Order: sequence, then C-alpha cells, then structure tokens
Amino acid sequence: MKRSTFFAFVAPSVVLMLVFMAAPLVSVLIQSFYLTQNVFEEVTVESCTPGFPNPVCTEEIQSRRVLDENGIPVTETSFVGWETYRVLLQPEAVAEAFSVGGGGVSALLDIDFYKAARFTITFTLITLPFVIGVGLLIALAVNNAIRSLRGPVIFISLLPFIITPVIGALSIRWLFVGDGILTAALEGILNEDIAVFAHGWAFEILMMFYRVWHVAPFAFVIFYAGLQTVNQDTLESAIVDGASRFERLRYVIIPHLMPLIVFVALIHLMDAYRAFDEVIGFRSEAHRITLQWLTFNFLTPDDSGNRAISRASAASMLTMLGIVILLIPPLWRTWRDHRGR
Amino acid sequence: MSQPQAEALRQPLSLRLTSGVFLVIWMLIAAFPLFWITVMSFKLPVDSFAANPLSVIFGPDTRAEVGGLSPLDIVLGIVGIYFAIRFARHLAALARMVSIAGQAWLGWIVAVLIYTIAVLVFFVGIVPAVSAGLRDALGGGFLLDPILGATLTHYYSVWVENTFYHQFINSLIVTAGVVLISLTVGTLAAYAIARTGSSIAFWLLIAALIFRALPHSVLVAGYLPPFVNSREILMPLWESGAVGWFFQLFGDEPPTLYGRHWAVIIVLVSINQPFTIWMLRSFFMSIPAELDEAARVDGCSHFQAFRRVIIPVMWPGVITTGLFSFLLAYNDYLVTSLLLDAQSQTMVPAISGYFNRETTTTDQVEAVAAAVSIIAPLFILIMVFQRQIVSGLTAGAVKG
Amino acid sequence: MLRTLLLASAGTLLTTSAALADCAFENELPLSSLSAGFEAWYAVTDAMAECGNFEAELDQEFRTKQPTGFAADPSLYHIGGVANGTLVPLLNDGTIRPLNDLVEQYGQQLTPNQLITIDGDIMAIAMMVNSQHLMYRQDIFDELGLEVPTTYDEMLQTAAAIQEAGVVDYPIGGTFRTGWNLAMEFINMYLGHGGQLFNADKTPSINNEAGVAALERMRALTEYMDPEYLGSDSTYVQQQFQQGDIAMAVLWASRAGAMDDPAESQVVDLVTMAAAPSAVEGAPPASTVWWDGIVIAENISDEEAAAAFQVAMEGMDAEMVQANNDAAIWLIDGYEPNRLSEGAIANLMGGTPPYPASTEMGLMHTALGDNLSDFLIGAESAEQALADAEEAYLTAARESGLVQ
Repeated sequence: MKRSTFFAFVAPSVVLMLVFMAAPLVSVLIQSFYLTQNVFEEVTVESCTPGFPNPVCTEEIQSRRVLDENGIPVTETSFVGWETYRVLLQPEAVAEAFSVGGGGVSALLDIDFYKAARFTITFTLITLPFVIGVGLLIALAVNNAIRSLRGPVIFISLLPFIITPVIGALSIRWLFVGDGILTAALEGILNEDIAVFAHGWAFEILMMFYRVWHVAPFAFVIFYAGLQTVNQDTLESAIVDGASRFERLRYVIIPHLMPLIVFVALIHLMDAYRAFDEVIGFRSEAHRITLQWLTFNFLTPDDSGNRAISRASAASMLTMLGIVILLIPPLWRTWRDHRGR
Repeated sequence: MSQPQAEALRQPLSLRLTSGVFLVIWMLIAAFPLFWITVMSFKLPVDSFAANPLSVIFGPDTRAEVGGLSPLDIVLGIVGIYFAIRFARHLAALARMVSIAGQAWLGWIVAVLIYTIAVLVFFVGIVPAVSAGLRDALGGGFLLDPILGATLTHYYSVWVENTFYHQFINSLIVTAGVVLISLTVGTLAAYAIARTGSSIAFWLLIAALIFRALPHSVLVAGYLPPFVNSREILMPLWESGAVGWFFQLFGDEPPTLYGRHWAVIIVLVSINQPFTIWMLRSFFMSIPAELDEAARVDGCSHFQAFRRVIIPVMWPGVITTGLFSFLLAYNDYLVTSLLLDAQSQTMVPAISGYFNRETTTTDQVEAVAAAVSIIAPLFILIMVFQRQIVSGLTAGAVKG
Repeated sequence: MLRTLLLASAGTLLTTSAALADCAFENELPLSSLSAGFEAWYAVTDAMAECGNFEAELDQEFRTKQPTGFAADPSLYHIGGVANGTLVPLLNDGTIRPLNDLVEQYGQQLTPNQLITIDGDIMAIAMMVNSQHLMYRQDIFDELGLEVPTTYDEMLQTAAAIQEAGVVDYPIGGTFRTGWNLAMEFINMYLGHGGQLFNADKTPSINNEAGVAALERMRALTEYMDPEYLGSDSTYVQQQFQQGDIAMAVLWASRAGAMDDPAESQVVDLVTMAAAPSAVEGAPPASTVWWDGIVIAENISDEEAAAAFQVAMEGMDAEMVQANNDAAIWLIDGYEPNRLSEGAIANLMGGTPPYPASTEMGLMHTALGDNLSDFLIGAESAEQALADAEEAYLTAARESGLVQ
C-alpha cells in the first residue's frame, strides 16, 4: 500500500484522536507544571441575609477576587516545576513515615494518593485472575451444555456485561444497602445485626465482586468463541496419547486460548485500572477511592468554585505513568510479534 | 471417530452435573440484581423498599392501593414473554420482509417499531382488558383476583409526566451517530493498518492502545471550558476574510458546542476509535490479503478494492464492533452528563437526576423504573444480535 | 387505555393554557435557568414556566455547572438558583449582575428579608430559608415519657433510653455522608462549641479543644446510628424516618413535608419539629441558617435581564406560595407557617447563626468533608484528622492564591 493511500485511509481517525485525545493530554501535561492563582483583595463588606423577623446585616473583612476593567477575574499563572507533584506525593511525609518512630505503611496510606494507588492496584490485580477464571469456567460449562440450552444461557450470561455500568453497580448496592434484602437474609442466617457498608473491606469485596460480575461475561464470550476453533485433530491425538481431561485442558485448550487470554487481560487491566463507576455507584469515598476518582475529585469545583486543575493534571499524569508501566509486558510481546513478522 | 476416543470425550456424570450446577449458580448471580430492580419498579415505594423480600415480590401495599396481577394475568404474561422472545429471534426475517426500496436499515427500523408496538399493545392493552373483562363478567374468583401487587404508575410518571421520551430520542440520536461515524472512520483506518507492514501502522496501534487506557475524566475536563466558550474561541475563524466566508456557510455565528448532540457524538467517536481500530484490524487480518490483491491486479484502486471486495465480506466483524460502539455510546455517563444540558441529555445521565434530586422515596422508585426502561432496549438488542456477537467474535475479530 | 391517554393529554393542554393566563407578564424572549432540584425549586420553576418561552434545568449537580455556565459569553443561563454557599463562586467571578434597578422597577412586593445585599448592591433575591433542626417521633417520646432534648448531651441520654426500650432499629439518624454533608455536621457542631474556623490571616484554626470536642460528640452520636452512617445523606435519613427505623434526627427543614406524605411515609402526623439541640448549655442551636434564591446573569443583554427578572418574580409570587405552602419555609408574603415549620422558626428565634459563606469557607468545607471520616471509623485520632483537614485546606488555599 502506498504511503499516501495509507494516510488517506487513516487520516479521519488520526485527526479525531489527535484533536480529542492527544491535544487534551498534552495540555494536561503542560498544566501539571503550571499553577494558575487568583488575585485576592481584602475588603470590608456589609452584607445582609434573611433573619427573623428582620434581616441580619453584618460587616466583616472578606477576601474578594480582583476583577479587571471588563469584569473578568484577574489570574496569575506561574511555572512551578515539580511543586504540584511534590504536594501530591508528599515525599517528606513518606520519608517521615518510614523513619524511626514513623507510622509506617498506615501513615503512608493516610496520604490520598497512596491510598488511591493502593486500592486501584489491588483492585486491578485481584480481579484479573477472577475475570479470566470465571470467564473460562463459564465458557467451558456452556460448551458442555446441551446445544438447545446454549442460546438462553448465553443470553443470561451476557446481561451483566451489556447493562449500563452505573445501573449495574446501583442494582447490586440496593441488595445490600441498609436493610437491603441480601443483608436482611444474612442477618437472618447469622442472627446478628449486620451493616455491610460500614466496613472498608466489605466495600472492597463488593466492588471487586461487581467488577468480576460485569466483566466475566466479556471474557466468557471471547473464550467461548475461541473454544469453537480448537483444533479437533490435536485434541484427538492427545486422547490417543492417553491425556486425561485435565491434561487436555492444560496442554491443548489453554495454549490455544492464550492469545485471547492475553487480549482479555490487557483490556481488563486498562479498564480496571481506571475504575470509577464503582466509587460513584457504591458511594465508597469514605472507605476506598481509586486514582481516576482522585482526579475527578480534584476537578470537581470545591465550594468556592475552584477546580484544582494543577493537582488534577499531575494526578492524571501519574495515573498515566502507572498504566504505561502495567502495559509494558503485553506491549513488549506485541513488539516482538511485530518484529518477528 | 473411533470407539475409545468417543468414550474419552464422553463426560462422566459427575462432571456434567458439576458443570450444570455451576452454570445455574452463575445464571442466578448474573440475573438476580436485574430481576430484582425490575420487580421493585412495579411496586409502590412502601413495598419496593420493604426489608422483607416477600413483601417486595408480592407487594401487599401495592395490591391494597392499586390492585395487581391475577394468576390469569401471570399465565398470559408468561405466554406473552415466551412468544416475544421467540419472535425477537425472527426480527431479521421481518426486517427483510418490510425493507423499503432495498434499504436494509429502514427495514430494521420498521421491524423494531412494529415489534415494540406489538409487545406494548399486548402487555398494556390486551392482557389487562381481557382480565378486567373476565373479572367483571364472572365477578372475581381465585384465578381472577389479584395476588401480586403491581403498578405501572412509575412508568407512567417517567415516560408521560416527566417526558422521558425526549431523553430516549436524544439517546437514539447520539447512539446512532456514534455507531455510524465510528464504524465508517474506523473501518477505513483499520483496513489500511491491516494491509500495511510499515512501522507507522505499528506505532499508530500502540498510540491507540495508550489512548484507550486514558482515564476519561482527564479528557472530559479538558473539553468542558472550550465547549462552553466555543463561540468566543471560534469567532476569529468566522471573522477572518476568506476562511470566514467558508465557515459562515455553516451558520452566521460560531456555535456553542456545549449541549450539542453532534459535538458529543464526535467526542464519543474519538474516545471509541482505539477500540474500534483494534477490533476491526484483527478482523481484517483474517480476511486473506489475496482477495483485494486480485482486485488490484484487475486494475482497481485501493479504495475501489476496498469497496468491491472487502465491504461485502466484512459485515460479521463490523456488526460485532458496531455493537460495542453502541454499548459505549448508549451506556456512557461521564461525557454525556458533563457536556449535555437538560434539553439534550441522554437517558443515563438523566436518571442520575432522579437519584440526586433531594426529595422523595417516590423519586427513587421512579429512578428505578427509568433504569429498567433504559436496560429494556439492551435486552432486545442481545436477543436479536446474540448470534452475531458470538459468531462475529469467532469469525476472527478476537485473533488480535 | 388509548382513550384515557387522550383524555389525560387533553387535560394537560387545558391546564397549560389556563396556567398561561395566570402569568401577568407575557414573556417573548427565550430564557433558561439552572438551579438545584428539590421540591421548592420545582414549584418555583413551574410557576416561572407559565410565562412562556422558559426552560428550567434542575440538577443537583448545579454547583459544578453554574460557575462555568455563567462565565460563558453569552451566558448559558439567564436565571440561577443559588444558596449562601453557591453564591460565592458567582460573586467571585463577577458573573451575576446587581439587581437594584430591577428591584426598584419590578420588585415592589419583595420584603426586606428577601434582598440579599452586599455592600449596598442587591445581588440575589431570597425565596426561602432552610436550616437543620430536630425532628422526633412524638409517639415514641410520649410512650416512653421522654422530654424533647435541648442539648446534645440530653439527646444522647434520650437516645440511650430509646435504645433500652428497643422500639426502633436505631435511635438517631444523621446526614453523615462523607463530603459535603459530614463537613456540614462538623461545622454546625464546631460553631455550636463556640469555635472560630480561621485566624485573621485566613489560616485555619480548627485543631483545638472545640474541634476535638465537636468530633468526639459526633462520634458519640454515631454509636446510636445505623452503622452505614458514612453513606447516609438527607434522602436516606428521610427514608429511615418514613420507614419508622429511627426516632430522631437533626435534618433539613425542607425535608419536613415528606414525613407527612401518605404515599410513602408510614409515620404520617407522628413526627414533630423542634429547634436543633445546642452543643453546650445555653448556646444557640448548633445549626446554621441557609437561604435559597435567584440571581441574574451578567453576560446577557439588559432586555433579557429585565424579562428574566420579571419571570422570576412571577415564579416567586404569593399564588405559588399558596399552592405549595408545605414545600419550604418561604420568605415570600402569603406564607402560612404550620406544624411542619415549627422547628425552623424555633431555630431562627433561638439565634442560629447564618452559614458563614465566603471564599475560604468554601475551601474549608471541602477540606473537612474529605478528611473527617478517618476519625469516625477509628483509623485516626481526632487531632490527626483535624490536622489533615487543616493541611488540605492550606494546600487548596495556597493553590488558589488565598494564602501565601
């Protein structure tokens, strides 16, 4: 294919990705090194608010933003280098935590960024084997089922994957929240008062459960599709060699599915690493937060209307760094394949 | 197949049993939360948030207040659902039958409309009418008296009083736009990448992969200010001589992008590009390159070869990829909630309005009803396309 | 079925045209508003819509959208619904206009209490007040012979008595959801203990005896709450009341109406309102007074501003109040206080301070909301949690340029 033809084909897609993904990314990178501050002046203000029976008027010194002649607030932008990253990562506090008499790991996890990173990484890594394992088990079991039953079984299995994530998370939360029916059932069995959403670990387990519930069907479809193309000859010769059922699974089927397992693992790593819907759906901010939620929280205007743009940018660059590190092994594999071709 | 091999393949009862039991448990886990919110959506607030599961299912309060379903209704309903599912499988045939002027997609739209109306008429019109008629005629009786409290009031409030169909139409526009554009742009790029050995293609794929990994909140935060202020930002383009004349063809003034469907469509298409390219590329890899090379030998340009040879054989992969694009656009919360205003909002961010509304328990049940309304089309979608999802993936879309 | 639908839509048409006639001002310009989405705002925006050409956006996330929407030129919205706290960002950005002329021309019916004045300029028109006050189950208190608590110590004793009797799942409900709600509870309690939030140079001063006492008191309350209190917001507490799960709570006055809603409440006529308890004997109720009202955007034409103001006045007239008397504690003429408004009025009479809205307060509110839960779940000492909150406040204040 000629180079010009190639570019003509890819141009629309590349332009879209450049404008809507690369450009914001670059601006985020730049913003993480700059700090934009407002300019405040102190003024004495008399303000009146409703009271009973008459309005309450108070006179007080207030900080007010300085506006220019067009009525637009004045801001000052300055280059701060790694300062924002320092505020986020708090190296001094980390050093103190691990020095003699420091709080150790628990003091480290008190800092939001490490707290979020800790949960995000455990969340990603623990759900990964479950997604692949459960997906594979469902695929094998469906493959085992009577042909006429497969249609309905596949239909039901796909449900958790296709329904809207926010709705899925809420539907699970409703089962447990307060005296939700599953909590009530547990209480009935154990005969004690249980409050699922009062414990950090319960959040952690439920959020992971939700993620596996949501993604395992995706893994299942992919693996199920792969199972249909297992080479029957290899399987038969394995039987002739006297391989047991488990050995056939281990030495014939799994290697055949390996590229698909890598594919699912890759997609899952990327998606789980930017977990966000779970925090919103389960309202777990008090107990467990994720890296993307941290960025989102910085970006949400606080009660004075400020967005912590610099910290959000720095947090997202660190998040990016994390995902790149996670992706290096599978990317390395792709690179080798590409070279070998 | 020889005797011992067939024996080795036949599974012992214990294994079949374990696998069967596992499947049943999995299906329970998969379907239960959704089944439960569906049940909740048909009850009055007191019942839907009751602690006792039996009163959620049977809805005593709902039955006392507004009535409910009699055993006859339930039997009719189950029969109806059975036929509705059976019939959904044949939607494709119906679509072909009613396709107008050979346009397959028009046929699909008409078919889906006919199907939806038929189902609604049956469940909301015929079943209650038959059962009420019988009850009046016979004066009640075990089979005709309501035993299961159920009410459609929340659906009525959501769809009629709160005009949820506006959001439904918005969702349709955004979803259709995203699927169409992202497939068009994506197939072109993926085809070119699949058919070239150059390093640029490889690096493009890697870049796409990294873009796929980007947390969306980062991107969306970048969009919001320019979207809101686009009129000011774009003004110079409209005011500068020759270029301005070109842009003025689109409108007298630059648009405010915030709250525009097409702006959100473009954003979602971009976010979706990496995945589309990856899926379609591996699919094109599975189409033998000899096919289009033969066409090239016959004197076709690359684009002609693409149109005449590849397009006819690419549909299984495109349908699978299209379904994923559909899910992304239909289910999106973050982008649509930030970039659309009340009038142009799609369904998913709109329900969060119910949850966040600081008011009543009724609102919460209405939110549940809205949530069930949102996932209902997805049900039909899988019923119809289930075979295509599995076969599309088998056909090679996952060889990547 | 079809016939019912047709009848229903015909009915809607009729009421719409009748309602259009209700509006004294016929609006020609397309106008829009953005406000919070609780009952009172539904009532007011519905009344505004009667004037025609008006689109209301009611969104509980309005705080996020409002500053950006109003900063656009032209502004995306003409009318904004604000409260004490959410007025500050708009004032700071200079995106709302002074209303003195408009009030003079079209706002004669407004009471002095409705005019939110800052340095002589009327910047907002208030329509209602809101405050957190005590709600309790009259039947349970009567049955057990309990007095209405006036201090938090008494409230804890009462809770112990209710728990002993075992009549409800949890004696106390509280809006302790991490974030805004939790910070609000702390601020109420801290101000009730006589604490000062800031030093003169805008640095924080919460890590002190009053701060620790406020936190300890909050933890004592959680002992009697549903253990999932860190996820419980106003709607959740309201539901707990409605389902008969709790016996008392300090809850927003705007929620009082829901207790008597027969469609969803099992405790109709059983919940009584009273002033919020004091943190220490003899102090005012440990709560704050909020108001909600409207502002008009700066970046719109004067004609649009005049039309928007008149539409807003139509939305906030006596007719609307008469039709929605129980939806809020209205400041508008024509409001009839009743059983449900007793708590809010008792709060106001008791000298409850207004919420001290300001730029630094906004930062402090956010910082508190993100950091206090660690103490309540037992992961940190009170001093450590307060130090974390001060640290978070300082980081944000330095970043915004408020503190050097």
